[in-house]
Amino acid sequence: MADQASLIEQVDAALSNVLADWNIYSTLFAGLLGAFALYSLFSSRDPDVHPFLLARQSTASPIRNSGESATYRCLETPYGFPLRSGLNVKDPGTPKYTAGRRGDLRDIWKAAVRGSLNPDGSASGKQGKIFTVLGKNSIEHSLSQLTQEMNVVGKELQKSDAKTVAVCLTDSVELLASIFAGSFYGYKTVIVPHNLPAETLSAHLLACKADALIAEAGSLDLSIVAKGNKQLDLVIWVAKYGNRHMDWHEVPEEVKGTLNALVWHELVEEHKDLAGMDVPEYDPTTPAPAVNTVWPSSSTSGRFIDFQSENLIAALAALGSALPRNQRFTPSDLVLSIDSLSRSYPLLQIMNALYSNASIALNSVAGENVDFALATLGISPTVIIASSQTMADYHERVMKPHTGPISSLGRWVQARTLDGGNMPSKNILSQISRVGPTAELSLNDLRLLCISHRVDADPSVRLTSEQLTELRIFTDARIVYALTGPGIAGAISQTNIFDYRCLSGLAHFGAPLSCTEITLTNVSENGGSDDLPEGQLTVAGPAVVDGKTTLPTRVRISNDNTVELI
Amino acid sequence: MSVASPINLILLSLFVVLVYYHFRPKQAISLPRGPPPVVFRTYTPKTLIEFNGENDRPVYLAVRGRVFDVSPGRNFYGPGGPYENFAGRDASRGLAHQSFDVEMLTDDLSAPLDGLKDLDADQLENLQSWEDRFSEKYLVVGKLVAEGDPEAPKS
Repeated sequence: MADQASLIEQVDAALSNVLADWNIYSTLFAGLLGAFALYSLFSSRDPDVHPFLLARQSTASPIRNSGESATYRCLETPYGFPLRSGLNVKDPGTPKYTAGRRGDLRDIWKAAVRGSLNPDGSASGKQGKIFTVLGKNSIEHSLSQLTQEMNVVGKELQKSDAKTVAVCLTDSVELLASIFAGSFYGYKTVIVPHNLPAETLSAHLLACKADALIAEAGSLDLSIVAKGNKQLDLVIWVAKYGNRHMDWHEVPEEVKGTLNALVWHELVEEHKDLAGMDVPEYDPTTPAPAVNTVWPSSSTSGRFIDFQSENLIAALAALGSALPRNQRFTPSDLVLSIDSLSRSYPLLQIMNALYSNASIALNSVAGENVDFALATLGISPTVIIASSQTMADYHERVMKPHTGPISSLGRWVQARTLDGGNMPSKNILSQISRVGPTAELSLNDLRLLCISHRVDADPSVRLTSEQLTELRIFTDARIVYALTGPGIAGAISQTNIFDYRCLSGLAHFGAPLSCTEITLTNVSENGGSDDLPEGQLTVAGPAVVDGKTTLPTRVRISNDNTVELI
Repeated sequence: MSVASPINLILLSLFVVLVYYHFRPKQAISLPRGPPPVVFRTYTPKTLIEFNGENDRPVYLAVRGRVFDVSPGRNFYGPGGPYENFAGRDASRGLAHQSFDVEMLTDDLSAPLDGLKDLDADQLENLQSWEDRFSEKYLVVGKLVAEGDPEAPKS
């Protein structure tokens, strides 16, 4: 008993000894401790998404064929359920219980012109805007004015009985108008990348049997194109503001009489009273015409991808639903594409924005490799669609060299927040950390970066997990990173918008979209059961031309069921 | 007044521990991998008979050329169950006749598959409803062909 008492006394004495040394520094440290404990307590948030959803991002089918892997699908449309094939458009007047239509491009334009809906389903009449970015300036267009142009050009092409119209334009409202005019006025649109040599363009036109061409005035030598394309009987020039005073009606001697040259703005001026600003009436049961694009391949000048309207709509619906409800495009968004609309991923994301009544911005210099800072100069978008090459290049050239010690410290702290599954909020620290790397950017409202990577692009432009983390921190935007391939509308797979994990090495490409399913073929049967499945990428689903395609690329399905290029 | 007193050191180390716990790198969660997928195979009556559920093997049965894995319903289709005769066999005729007797099975395993030509409309409907139920509940793990069929795997 006495021992115990003395023990307690000793402890008591030791404690009072220690406490006797309490001084001003102790108060300071205790204050620090308390403050940090409080900060730690109140700054902790639930992660944006349950970690289990990131630990297994797609489902595998329970059965496979010999020599193949299981079939992987996104969590939205698991094995045994139909893949997403359309927008589920419900026409006014149809009973509530009926299933919606798949929809086509005409429904997108109609929804864009109708404007956003109030929560009760009535139209609020608030349309999105369309901007064209020209250097530091941007020009605003209205959707009704664009509908008018679409009607004029569509009727003109219908009058000349055009079946296939090649569109060779930079990203512009005229390009969009031509594509939508095709769906309303029944001609097949072929989007040809601009800046091609006249010989290549001529070969493309011949390959797709184009009987009309819409191109930028002065951008190509008509005599070469006309010589190789006897079937061509109409050219519509789109003249820029600076050279509208010139006479563009002239055609080369040898095709005079067979080839007719018109000018876009003159046509619109001439017929605008007749055409009207309303979206043309259409019968939704008639199929919408196809839209072809050219997939750039290294060997030749490219190959045609014959997207049917169904492929595009399925991919568009899947791209929309791939984002969680609170991250989808809304009427308050401004979506800027700095990647060429001749590629299906940017094109469908822009159409998705139109369908969601968001405002969109187009940049005439847009392409696979552009200067990120220059391309985003004239406007402050909330969403940017860019290619992996653009982003990798900007990160390598500007962000990395400008990351000083302060930026690194801020980056490190914010990377911890991202690791915890949260997007860092804006504060002093985040401001300081991004001063250097983003000095030349004016992206204050940016919330989402949609980056796409071509499956056959240069492997050196594939982004690493760390680069994606830095892009998240420095631009203060969430990122989706998509893998695109020839013959697949939109994307094959796309990362989860809330997947902030910084894994080692090259970034993965997430789970398949809800309109595609992935099977690996040519899989070795000799591997152990613990080996990750590895093989040739085969994609099937409603977004794929002809339902199914096998790409020459080898991929791996990693432990969290995401797609990795090898 | 000194900074390096025991109380200060204690407070400071507590602070450091707290900061470490706040900023320590978090391990990404990984889930255990699911069972490996079953390989789709082509069976003949002779190879199918091995999957009769004995010795904890899976229970398969065939309906009109499709092989179903009915292991989840082992109590019914496995050994000792009311439908045990069907395990590892072509059950089409039995299901159509609503009979679970041995007479319904094709005795000779090398014989061609039962063509089911003599069934009447009611029996075919009966068979169809069974097949639909199986498709809903169970996984198709292969197809059944007769011994000697060009599609049959070489042994």
